[in-house]
Order: sequence, then C-alpha cells, then structure tokens
Amino acid sequence: MAKTYQKPNYFDRIRGDFFSTKLDASMTIVFGLLAAWALWNLVNWGVLHAVWSADDRALCGHGTEGACWGVIDARWRLIMFGLYPFEEQWRSAIACIVMVIVGVLSCVPWFWNAKRLPVLWISGFALFYGLMRGGFFGLTPVFEQNWGGLSLTIFIFASVSLIGMPLAIVFALLRRSELPWIAHTMGLIIDTIRSLPLLSIMFTFAIVLPFVLPGWMIGDKLYRVIVGYALFFACYQAEIIRGGIQALPPGQEEAAKALGMSYWHRIGYIVLPQAFRNALPPTINQFVITFKETSLVVIIGFFELLASANAAYGTSEWNFAHIEVYAFVGLIYFIFVFALSRYGAYLERRLAVAER
Amino acid sequence: MSNSAVRIQAMDKYYGTFHALKKIDLDIQKGEKIVVCGPSGSGKSTLIRCINKLEDYHGGSINVLGTELDDNLDNIDEIRRETGMVFQHFNLFPHMTILENCTLAPILVRKQSVAEAEEVAMGFLEKVKIPEQADKYPGQLSGGQQQRVAIARALCMKPEIMLFDEPTSALDPEMISEVLDVMVSLANDGMTMICVTHEMGFARQVADRVVFMADGEIVEEAKPNTFFDHPKEARTQAFLSQILGH
Amino acid sequence: MHSLLRNKTFRDTAFQVGFVGGLILMIVVLIFTARTNLEAQGMTSGFGFLERATGWGVNFSLIEFTTSDTYLKVIWVGILNSLFLGSISLVLATVLGTIIGVMRVSGNRVAEMIGTTYVEIFRNLPLLLQVFFWYAVLTSLPRPKEGISLFDVAFISGRGMYFPGLNVTGGSVFVMFIGLFAAIALTIWLRMARRFRRMEPATKKSRGRLIWMVFGVFAVVCMWAGRIPDTDLLSIPFLKGLNYREGVRVSPELLTCIIGISIYGAAYIGEIVRAGFNSLSKGQGEAGYALGLSPWQTFSRIKLPLAIRAVMPTLINQYVWLFKSTTVGIAIGFVDFFMVISTSINQSGQTLELIAILMGGFLIINYSMAWVLNRVNDAIALKGSQLRV
Repeated sequence: MAKTYQKPNYFDRIRGDFFSTKLDASMTIVFGLLAAWALWNLVNWGVLHAVWSADDRALCGHGTEGACWGVIDARWRLIMFGLYPFEEQWRSAIACIVMVIVGVLSCVPWFWNAKRLPVLWISGFALFYGLMRGGFFGLTPVFEQNWGGLSLTIFIFASVSLIGMPLAIVFALLRRSELPWIAHTMGLIIDTIRSLPLLSIMFTFAIVLPFVLPGWMIGDKLYRVIVGYALFFACYQAEIIRGGIQALPPGQEEAAKALGMSYWHRIGYIVLPQAFRNALPPTINQFVITFKETSLVVIIGFFELLASANAAYGTSEWNFAHIEVYAFVGLIYFIFVFALSRYGAYLERRLAVAER
Repeated sequence: MSNSAVRIQAMDKYYGTFHALKKIDLDIQKGEKIVVCGPSGSGKSTLIRCINKLEDYHGGSINVLGTELDDNLDNIDEIRRETGMVFQHFNLFPHMTILENCTLAPILVRKQSVAEAEEVAMGFLEKVKIPEQADKYPGQLSGGQQQRVAIARALCMKPEIMLFDEPTSALDPEMISEVLDVMVSLANDGMTMICVTHEMGFARQVADRVVFMADGEIVEEAKPNTFFDHPKEARTQAFLSQILGH
Repeated sequence: MHSLLRNKTFRDTAFQVGFVGGLILMIVVLIFTARTNLEAQGMTSGFGFLERATGWGVNFSLIEFTTSDTYLKVIWVGILNSLFLGSISLVLATVLGTIIGVMRVSGNRVAEMIGTTYVEIFRNLPLLLQVFFWYAVLTSLPRPKEGISLFDVAFISGRGMYFPGLNVTGGSVFVMFIGLFAAIALTIWLRMARRFRRMEPATKKSRGRLIWMVFGVFAVVCMWAGRIPDTDLLSIPFLKGLNYREGVRVSPELLTCIIGISIYGAAYIGEIVRAGFNSLSKGQGEAGYALGLSPWQTFSRIKLPLAIRAVMPTLINQYVWLFKSTTVGIAIGFVDFFMVISTSINQSGQTLELIAILMGGFLIINYSMAWVLNRVNDAIALKGSQLRV
C-alpha cells in the first residue's frame, strides 16, 4: 500500500480546503447551497427585479418581488442632510467631506504625535463647525436645531471624540495616581458610569441637568447630550489607556525616574506614547462603537442619520419601503464602521509583527 | 505477525514544497530502544510525529504493529491507542487534576470503569514517584513533575510503543535527571521506545541503536558504542564534536 | 512657606483633599441648585410618590398590573421585563455566537466565509438600526385576518405571534421555570461535579431520571395550583373579528428586541469564541489525539473547556454590555426598566428620584451579574502558576 508522492495541484488544494473529510464535504455542500440560495435571492431582489427611479413609484409596492430604490432617489437629501435648508446643503456635504478627510489623515502615522493630531482635529472641526453654522463670509447662519442627517451624526461623533479623549487621559492618570484617595474616587466614578447604559446617561444629561445646574450653565440640549456622551466615552477610553499603561514594563517609568525626569515629562514622553501604541487596537474599536452608538440620540429626539431614515419612509407615499431605506442607511453606517474596524485589524496585525 | 514494532519504508514528507523527510527507511523490533538525534531542523521530531499521524506523510508507507498507517481512520485510532507519546512541552490538560489527566483516555477510549482506571493510574503515578500529587492540578507542579505525569498518562493506556519527543529539552537542568530516571526504568521493563533526545548519556546507557538524522535523511545508524566512539560520516562527527566538545 | 509647598506629604494631602473636597463641593452645589429650582416650580421631592397609583397601564407585564397599581409596582414590572428580555437574549446570543465562532475556526472554508460575513454585517451596523429594521419587518407581516397559520394552533401576524398556552397565572409559570432551571442545574452538577465521579454510570442515569420525574410532578402541581378558574386548561389561539383570542401572545416589540439583541450579541460573542479557540496551543489537542481520543472527544473534553476558561473574563464584560443594550427597547415601545422610568418621569414629574432609581437599579443588576459570573470564573479558572502553554 505504498504511496508515491505527487505535488499538490489545484484540484488537491480545493479538495483539502473544502472536502478533506466526509464531514467537511457535507458541510461544504450544505452551507454552500445555503449561501448560494441567500445570495441569489438578494441579487434577485436588490438588482434584477429592482425599481431604480422615483418616477417609477407606481411599479413598486406590495407584492412585487424587487427592491424599490426609487425611495432613495426621492429622499436621499432628507436622509443625508435632514432639515438643513435645501439651498445650503452643499455646505453640509463639504463639511462631512472635511471630517472624513480628517479621519483618513489621522490614520497616517506622520500625524501620530501629541502636537499634530490635536491641531489636525481642532482645525478640521472648526472648519466643519464654521461651514455648518455659517454667519460669516456671506454664509447664512443655520442653527443647530436645523442640522440633521449624516452631518449631525458626524458632528456628534467628532465632538464626543474631541472632548472625550483629553478627558480620558486625565481620568486614566487620576485613576492610577499614587495618592489612594484620588485613585479610589476616580475608580468609583469610572466603574459607576461604565455600568450604566449610555442611553440613561444621555437621558440624564438631557432631562435632569436643567434641574440641578444654575441657569447660565444649562446650554443647548444637544451640547448637554454631547457632554454626557463624552463623559461616558472618557470612562471607557480611560480604562483602555490604563490597560495600555499597565502593559508597559515597570522598568520604563523607573528608568525615567532614575534619569531625574519630572512627572509630566515621564507621562508625556515615556508613558503615554507607549501606552497609546499598546492601546491602539482597542481604541479604534472604541471609536467604532462610539460611531455606531451615536444613533441612540434618536431616542432623545435628535434628527440624525437614523431618525432621518425613519422620516424618509414615514410618508404615505413611501411607507412600504422601509427595507430599502434601512438598507441604504445601513450601507452608510457600514462603510464608515467597516473601514474603521478593518483599519483597526490592520494595525493589530502590524503591531503584532513589529513586536516579534 | 512478525516481531516488528514499527516499519517505515521509503517515507517522504513535504511542507508545501519543502522536502522535510527524504525516503526514510527504518525498522524497529519489539522491545528495541531507539534514540534519534541530530541538529535542529533535521526532521527528527517530524519523523516520530508521523508514527502516530500527528503529521501527514506523502509517500512510502508506515506500518505500526502490523497495522498499516494510511487514510483509514480506524487504523489511525488503533495505532494511537497502542502508542503513547510524551511531548517536549508536556501538554497536560490544565483544567483537570493529575488523576483525571491519567484516567481520561482509559475511560473514554478503553471504556474502563472509573474505579479501575484510577487504580491503574495510581499504580503508574507511583512508578513515576508522585502518587501524592494525584489531586493537584498541572499548574501546581514543577516542570519535572509535570513531565513525569505526562509519562504516566501515556502509560495508563498500556501502550506497546512509547514515543518521546525531546522530553527533557524544556526542563530546567536540575529536573532533567528525575525524568531520565523514569525513562531508564521504563527501558529496563522492556518497553519499545523511540526517543528524540540530546541526552547522550541516556543514549549510551539504554539505546540499542542510535539513529542520526540531518537534512531530512537518516545519515547514520549504529549501536551506541560504535556511534559515539567511531562515527563513520563527516556530518555525524561534526555534530558529536559540537555536542560533546565542551 | 516655600519649604512647606515642597514637602511631599503636605502636597499629597493637599491634592487629595482638594480633589475629593472639590467633588463633594460640586455635588453639594448641584443639590442646592436642584432644591431651589424645584421649590421655585412648586414641586415636592422625596419618594412618597412611589405609593401613588399610576393611572396608566403597560402593554407587557410578567406579573398582573392594572392602572390602579402603584409606581413602585410599575418599576418592578419594568425591572422584571428587562431581566426577562436580557436573560432570553443573552442565552440565544451565546448559543448563536458559539455556533458562529466554531464555524469560523472549523477549518471548512465555506463555513468560515459564512461566519465571517455574519460577523462583519451584524457587528458593523448600529444595534438601533437593526432593531428598527426587524420591527419594520415584523409589523409589516400580514394582518391577523391573513395571518400565517401553523397547523391552526399557532399564528404569525403583524400584531405578534400567537402560541397555544395554558390558562394558568403568570406567577405559577414563573415558579415552574425556577423549577426547570433547578432541574437543569442539578443535572449539570450530577454530570460534572467531582464528588459524583466514582458513581456507577447506571446509578447516575437513574438519579438523573429521578430529578426529571420530581420536576415533572412539580410542574404539574404548579399548573394545577395556578389554574385560572372556569377556563379550559389548554388555551389555543383562534381568529375572532380583527384579532386572535386566547393563547399566548408574543408581541412584535418583545420579539424584535429578542431577535435584534441576540443577532447583534452573537456577532460579538462569535468573535470572542473564535479568539478563545485561537488562543489554545496546538499541544493540548495533539496530546488528546496521541492518547487515542476521537476528534469529538478532544473537542468536547479538552479544547472547549479550555476555550471557555480563556474567554470567560471577556465574556463577562460582554454580557454586562449586552444587558445594558436592552434599553434600546424603548425606541420601539417595549416596556423595559428604562421605558417605565421615562414614562413615570413624564407622568409624575419626579425626575431626580426616578433617575436615581434607574441608576441604582442598573448598578445593582450589573454588579450582581458581574459578581456571580466572576465567582463562576474563579471556580473554573486554571490552577497553579507553573503552566507553560
């Protein structure tokens, strides 16, 4: 029963990957058929039998087997820009593009230092805010109440990150302070906020804060919700940074101390740069979650992307087209979130290789 | 049935396009003790891992105790039941006690009752001189103790052949002798043993034959005295002078 | 003076007093502002309102609730609903997530691709979007008149799913479920616990049967004691007028939350399970094969138990996080803890008190859940520090 060796050819490779044992083969067949069936139905519904133009609304409706993309054709501006004045929507579009560029640029390692990254984000954010708000250079002022759609989602996400990140660093440093009272109090605050649902924090800041703050501090509801969200973000991110700091060998800080560096120099030049490097993948993951959960502000009553999606099929004209609208909005979220999470996975692999 | 324990004929093994083992021929009689040595990357671990099919081989044939080692799952199961293996990194199951590690396979595979399996296991734990650790977990034992448990665990299946894959190379120096002592006493009991090891003292003491491998080939095969004192091949001489030179 | 500022002990104390004192001061200021603001609006504070009748009802409750019941009771209803939704969703998410995770490490390319697609789709979309989507799908199912009938005893429609049920009180069903959990726990204990290792397999089997017989009797007693008088024991849904009558109704809201959270959670748990299997060293599995264990025995006795231990801490965080996400139910009108509090705030105006209850409730639930799971983790954690894996 001697075997002679043959080089694996294409056929053998397929056999090894898909049909190496009886169990493997049956799994391949069952799952393969299942996947093919689902894919076929999806293509059939979404492409082959779909109605593409808003003018053909009469063609879709109950009982037809194709998707009715006409609803997107008719309502995409509402979904993307919400109640922003129609003639000014180009500003909203440019503002979104600016923030996306800021996001892409911050993935470039050249920007990864304590000066460039804040400058990039603050100037990008200022440009975004200026374009959206207007009131100068002949731009008509548009107030926050009229912001909506994708630009509001991006605004909330960007402000939460911008406020939350510095706060997170402060929280992390306080929590690992050598002074027990400060460390324990901060630990208690962080743990408490982390075990509450984000929704209840947003709700508290929107509804309760006006009762307990002096009048001049109350501010707009949108900004209160953003501050609440930033606080929540900071508590999660602080734990991630702390994890990054704890992963440092103790020798690093000891060496810095032995060189006579002050606390702030140790933190700024030795501890935080390395901690952020360690904590990069979970930090990206935290941004992913934060972007997804901006959708919760719908419940507090803001008109961001998801709310405008609900409004898009909320008329009698398009009320059957919820699947199409959610698929479209889902695609927008997916593009942002998927890109970010792939980038996180790429970084994780790169760091893993660098450590070897 | 002949008296052959393992018969390897013209066996080839590839990793992708890398020819890891080249036309290996090896015949091992029952009761024989073989020590396989050679520089790292020479394929010696791969060779013994092929004997119980932890690695696939691609040409030639392997016959263990009269059973052909081919794609037939029944044959593979049969051979794995009859061969015990001791690994470099022990590979004890960390979530089970020492006793459970030793009784798991006899209960599941040999269908022994719990009481019977435990009695057998305690016997072997006494043989490797750690019966008092039976209810501890692997993580609570030293490396040398863990490796002795691993030997006991393999013996509990009452194998005909024992395979040792560098059993002492992950151990601290002071623990090596306690493991070698167990292996020597096992050899004295007449067990068929195939050991990949660099312990040349052990090889001299118990081996019937020493097999020297390099670059995926068997370079030299000889009785220990001949092997150590009058190596024939240049590669063998180089290897021996490196390992014994200090 | 300067030397005092450079004194480490003095500085440390000053920092700490400053930090904690500042926080306390802030809280005091907040409380005083709140008091003045409330007095200006003529509102009373305190928890007295909990004894008042609500005057409004809820559309889903595990215990009996009427509009004349108190706020205290409605909050309890909300907490029970949240726990109910949470426990069902977490169990389903774990089962589905384990399947997805195992598919992704199965070595079969097609299964891996399906698992990856699943994870990438459901993990990269906001939970709320998914909940809205499922809700829209479920409520656009045919009206009851055209509802889908399963053998004329169960029906699926845009108003919910209707199953045959028993005419018994909710309380007795609850007690029966506690009994069921106890029976399952006892069975697992009997099969796993060290103290029964030496028991003969035959005795073990008969003990197992005994447990389930006792449970059967217990269940019958529960049902008998909890019967609603003057009704048939079995209640089968049937169409009458515009809707179904009798039977057990699962509302679209509850069903949406269960589907949405389970599917979303399964994507995350699947990733955790995959990471757990990937963290195992090859050696343990090889040792299993070398001992002659079959692939299934190696998987179930060695790889799975080790993977569970490896992922337990991550899984605990994930459970707490998933439980918190049950609050999205409010978006589609599922009466959970959060929704009950929010409605109560609208109706009674006792904002501060109700928010305090909400936060206290979540803290207690989440901390106790984490505590229990951490004890489980401690109990199964690998012992000893000499492992080299």
